[in-house]
Amino acid sequence: MEQVFALPAAWWFDAVKVWLVVAVVIYIVTAIPGVYFIMKYRYKPGEREMGDHEREGHWGLEAAWTIIPTIIVLFLATYSFTIFKLQRTPPKDAMTIKVYGFMWGFQTDYLDDNGKVIKTVYSFYKPDNYDAGENEKIVVPAGKPVKALLTSKDVIHSFYVMPARITEDMVPGRITHLWFQINKPGEYWIFCREFCGTGHSHMFAKLKVVPPEEFTAWLKGDNKGLAEKNTETKESL
Amino acid sequence: MREAIPAEKPYFLASLREWIFTTDHKKIGIMYFVTSYIFFLVAGVFGLVIRAEQTQPGFQFVSPEFYNYLLTGHGAVMLLWWAIAAHIGGFGNFLLPLMIGARDVAFPRLNAFSFWSFFGASLLVLLTLIPGNHIKMMWTGYPPYSATGDAGPTALYVFIIHLIGISSIAGAVNFITTYIKMRAPGIGFWNTNMFVHCLIGANVIQLIGVPSLAGAVTMLLLDKYLGTNFYNPAKGGDPLLYQNVFWFYSHPVVYVQVLPIFGFFSEILPTFARRPLFGYVSMVFAVWGIVILSFEVWIHHMFVSGVPDWARVIMSYTTILIAVPTGIKIFNWIATLHGGAIILRTPMLYALGGIFMFLIGGLTGIPNAMVAIDLGISDSLFIVGHFHYVLAMAVTLGILAAITYWYPKATGRMFPEGLGKLSFWLTFIGANLLFFFQMVVGMLGNPRRYPDYPAIPEWVMLHQIQTVGGIILGLGILVFTIAMIKGLKGEKAPANPWQSPSLEWRIDSPAPAHNFGDKPPKVEPDYHPYKYGAPPAF
Repeated sequence: MEQVFALPAAWWFDAVKVWLVVAVVIYIVTAIPGVYFIMKYRYKPGEREMGDHEREGHWGLEAAWTIIPTIIVLFLATYSFTIFKLQRTPPKDAMTIKVYGFMWGFQTDYLDDNGKVIKTVYSFYKPDNYDAGENEKIVVPAGKPVKALLTSKDVIHSFYVMPARITEDMVPGRITHLWFQINKPGEYWIFCREFCGTGHSHMFAKLKVVPPEEFTAWLKGDNKGLAEKNTETKESL
Repeated sequence: MREAIPAEKPYFLASLREWIFTTDHKKIGIMYFVTSYIFFLVAGVFGLVIRAEQTQPGFQFVSPEFYNYLLTGHGAVMLLWWAIAAHIGGFGNFLLPLMIGARDVAFPRLNAFSFWSFFGASLLVLLTLIPGNHIKMMWTGYPPYSATGDAGPTALYVFIIHLIGISSIAGAVNFITTYIKMRAPGIGFWNTNMFVHCLIGANVIQLIGVPSLAGAVTMLLLDKYLGTNFYNPAKGGDPLLYQNVFWFYSHPVVYVQVLPIFGFFSEILPTFARRPLFGYVSMVFAVWGIVILSFEVWIHHMFVSGVPDWARVIMSYTTILIAVPTGIKIFNWIATLHGGAIILRTPMLYALGGIFMFLIGGLTGIPNAMVAIDLGISDSLFIVGHFHYVLAMAVTLGILAAITYWYPKATGRMFPEGLGKLSFWLTFIGANLLFFFQMVVGMLGNPRRYPDYPAIPEWVMLHQIQTVGGIILGLGILVFTIAMIKGLKGEKAPANPWQSPSLEWRIDSPAPAHNFGDKPPKVEPDYHPYKYGAPPAF
C-alpha cells in the first residue's frame, strides 16, 4: 500500500486500526446479546405470554455501562491527542511551501532560505476531467518533510493531501498549516474538500513526489515569468 | 374492549375550514406531519438523483450547478422538515397532551401560529424549485461563498431559516409550558413517558439554540445585501465567526433530531417486549446529560477549519464523552429485551432496526470525535455515511416505527402489517448497502459534495454498490407510503390495540376531539407508562 510510506498517514492508520478494533468489539458485545435476546425471548401463546415485569433496572449493570465506556472513550481521546500532537508539529527540518486556494485551483509558491518566492506552480481546475499538465503538478522531494502554509484568495477551500491523510481548510484572512512527508516517489492526489461552488469537484492537484536531487534540479529549472507572478502574490497578500 | 366510536367525524372528513382554523393539537400535529412527509418524499427524490449522478465518474444526469442545488435542498429539507418537524411538530403535538393527560397544549393559538409559519417556510422552499431561485450553497451556507453570486439567493435561505426558527421557538415555549403546567394530577417527573422527557429535552435545546442560528444567518443577510463586514476578512471580519455561531446551534440540533427518536424506541420496545423499560431512571439522566453536553461540542465540525489546536483537543474530549449517555440508552434497550416476550410486529421491527443502526452510527461517530482521525476523514464521504446512519437510518426508521405504532390512535385504523414488514426489510437492506459503502469510499479518501470524481476503480465499484442500495431504499419508502395511504381504509382499530398502560391509549381510536373529556383522566397512584402485567391479546 502506498500510504504506509507517508507521514502523518502512518500514525493515522494506527489510530484508525485502534478505533476499528474498539468499535468492532463494542458492536459484538452489544449486538450479539441483542440478537440472541430477540431470538430467545420470543412471545409464545400459552407458553411465554408475559415479559419479566418485576425487573426494572439493575444499578450494578447500569453503573458498569456508564463507567466502562467512560474509561474507553477517555483512553481513545487521549490516544488521539498524542497522535494529534505529532500531526500538528512539523519536524524542524521541514521545507516550507505556501499554497493559495482560489476558485478553482491551487497556487503553490516555493521559497528560498530567505523566504523569497523562487518558483510558482498553478494547478487549475479542469471542468470535465482530472488530467493535470506536467507544469501544473506540485512537486515535492521524497523522504523530506514539507510544511504547507495555507490560505485562500476568495472563499474557503481545503487542502487534502490524500497519501498523507491530512486535511486543513484554506480560510481567507487566516494562515493555517499542515505538514506531510511522502517517502515513495510517485504521483498522488490532492483535493479540495470544503465546498466552494460549481467547480468544487474538479478542484484538485497532482502531487508529484520525486527524489531530492531531481527536486533540486526542478526547482532551479524553468523560472520564466516568475517576476510578474511575484508581484501578483504580493498584491493578493 | 370498547368499540371505537369517534366523538366527531374522523380527521380526514373534517372540512377544509376546520383544518385551516383549527387550534386542536391533534389536527395541527397531523398537518405538521403530512407537510413534512411530502417534503421528505421530494427530498428523497433529490437524494436518488444525487445518488444516480455519482454512479459513474463524469457528469451523466445533472450539471454541477444543479447538483449543488439538489444537495442543498436534500440537506436542508431532510434536516429541518423530516428530522425536526415530522417528529417534534407532528408527533410532539399529537402525543404530548395525550401522554400527560391534558386537554390541549398550553397555548393552542400560538401552536397554530407555529404551524402556519412553518407552512410559510415550506412555501418559500417551493419557490427555490424555480430555476432562477436555486440555492446552491449547501444547507450550511458558509460565507464567504454564500455571499457570492454563485451561491444563489441567500436572502431566500435566510428567510426560510427565520420562519422555521420562529416556528421552533414558539413551539418550544409551548411544549415546555405544557409539560410544566398541564400534567394531569398523578403524572410526575418520574412517571412521565420517555418520549415526553426526550421531547422536552429537545425543545430546551431549541429554545437556547435557535436564536444563535438566526443570528448567524441574519449577519449573513446583512453582509451580502447591506454591506456589513461580519464575515468579510478584507474588512476585519472573520468567516469562522459564522461557523462558530452556526454550529453552536447546528450541532445541538442533531440531538433535537435524535432525542425524540430515543423516545419512540423507549415507548415501542417495552410494549412489544411486554415488560417495563430497563433502567428508566438512568435513561432520564442520560437524556438530560445529552442536552447539557450537546452545547459543549460544536468545534468538532471545525476540526480542520483553522481554529486553535487547544480548542480542538478540548472539544475532542467533550464530543467523545457524549458517547457515554448515548451508550447507556443503547445498553438499556438491549437489556429491556432480556426476559421479554417479544412480538415482532411492524413497529417493533422498525424500532429494533433503528437501534442497531444507531449503534453503528454511534460507533462510527467516535473517529470523528478523535481529532487525530478526523484530520484525515473530515469532509469526506465517511462523515456523510456516518450521519446518514444516524439521521437517515436511526431517525427515519424511528419515525416510521412511530407512524406504524400510533397510526391507530391518529386514524382509527390499523397499519397494514404485511406491507409494513416488506417496507421495513427493503428500507433496512437498501439503506445499509447505501451508507455502509459510502463510509468505506470515504475512508479511502473520496471528498464529499463531489458530483464527479476521478475514475479510481475501487471508488467506482463502491459507488455502484451504493446506487443499488439507493434503489432498494427508494422502493422501501415507496411501499411504506402506499401502505400508509392504503391503511386509511384498513381494519378498524380498537382503543388500545397494543394493550399499553400508557395514558394516550386510554381514549378511543381515533383520538376524540376533547381528548379525555372535561376532567383530567384518573391516574392511579402507582401509574407508570411501562407497567406491563397482563398477557397481550394481539
